[in-house]
Amino acid sequence: MSLSITRINVLPSTRTLASGVPFANKINHSLPPQAHGHGHSAGPRTDSPPTWAQKLSGSVSVLHVNTLPNTLVFSRSFSTSSRSSAQSGSAVGGISHHATTSQRHGPTGVPDFTPYRASDTSSNRTLSYFMVGALGALGASAAKSTVSDVLSNMAASADVLALAKIEVELGAIPEGKNLIVKWRGKPVFIRHRTSDEIDEANAVDVKTLRDPQTDDDRVKKPEWLVMLGVCTHLGCVPIGEAGDYGGWFCPCHGSHYDISGRIRRGPAPLNLEIPEYDFVEDDAKLLIG
Amino acid sequence: MASPIYSTIFKRNSVFVPTVFLAAFSFSIGFDMVTSAWWDSHNRGKQWKDIRSKYIEQEE
Repeated sequence: MSLSITRINVLPSTRTLASGVPFANKINHSLPPQAHGHGHSAGPRTDSPPTWAQKLSGSVSVLHVNTLPNTLVFSRSFSTSSRSSAQSGSAVGGISHHATTSQRHGPTGVPDFTPYRASDTSSNRTLSYFMVGALGALGASAAKSTVSDVLSNMAASADVLALAKIEVELGAIPEGKNLIVKWRGKPVFIRHRTSDEIDEANAVDVKTLRDPQTDDDRVKKPEWLVMLGVCTHLGCVPIGEAGDYGGWFCPCHGSHYDISGRIRRGPAPLNLEIPEYDFVEDDAKLLIG
Repeated sequence: MASPIYSTIFKRNSVFVPTVFLAAFSFSIGFDMVTSAWWDSHNRGKQWKDIRSKYIEQEE
């Protein structure tokens, strides 16, 4: 007699105990107590026949053992075109003999996926990483575009920028005269200073001033004084060529500014403000803003 | 065994991530260039930069 057990299927149990043993109703997973009596208790599972059981004589051949899953409700849905698995599914709880099963599924019962496997896994891996990287690059590009679009939306538009700058013809201002232009809703004083006035502005001891600034700090070219015509006290517009210091005089509360626009007397705390300006076209024009 | 692309770019994350950012940077530049070139060719003769020469020369 020769008993050969080709295949035993133990279907998945629903949960695993804390000891690592799969919990399955009606199946005894316990190990045989003192199987051979020399110390260690490890041994084969008692629910599956040990290898020495094959030595039994006889002609019974168990090719296929199906054990039902241990759930209360038996509902597993899968689709397969295998004819043998459809047949074995019909043999619920029993032992079914199929000669074709072992040929199709191999000795482990796992279907043969060899025709579906990639012949070269490294190219698959490269493609996977490439797709990940391409998605990252696209996402980063989109995020960057979004952020820059939002920021450019908040920036000043072209018409606002065009109004924010004015050009003044400097040749139209004779020496020793003032020109008042409107820039961003505020008056701007431009004075073509004479050399006497420049010397006068430089002669002042800076340490005695309320807001100490040298004349060089306030002008880019000594003959051209450009400053915002708003009194630093309460925002009146000072009168040119007036006051005790030959510069500007605010009529509201009596602040006196000198020929460099520095506060000399009165309530104003600071010198007249200097806007951003530049000389363009070979110093023929003044660009304010 | 592994392809040269994998071993040079993908194998180390320190190379992979900068490569992704560099690719994003160059992609956005290239994308903008391509789309604006298409837009200009689609609107050829209608934009100010195409017809500017007619009006500026007549004024001067």
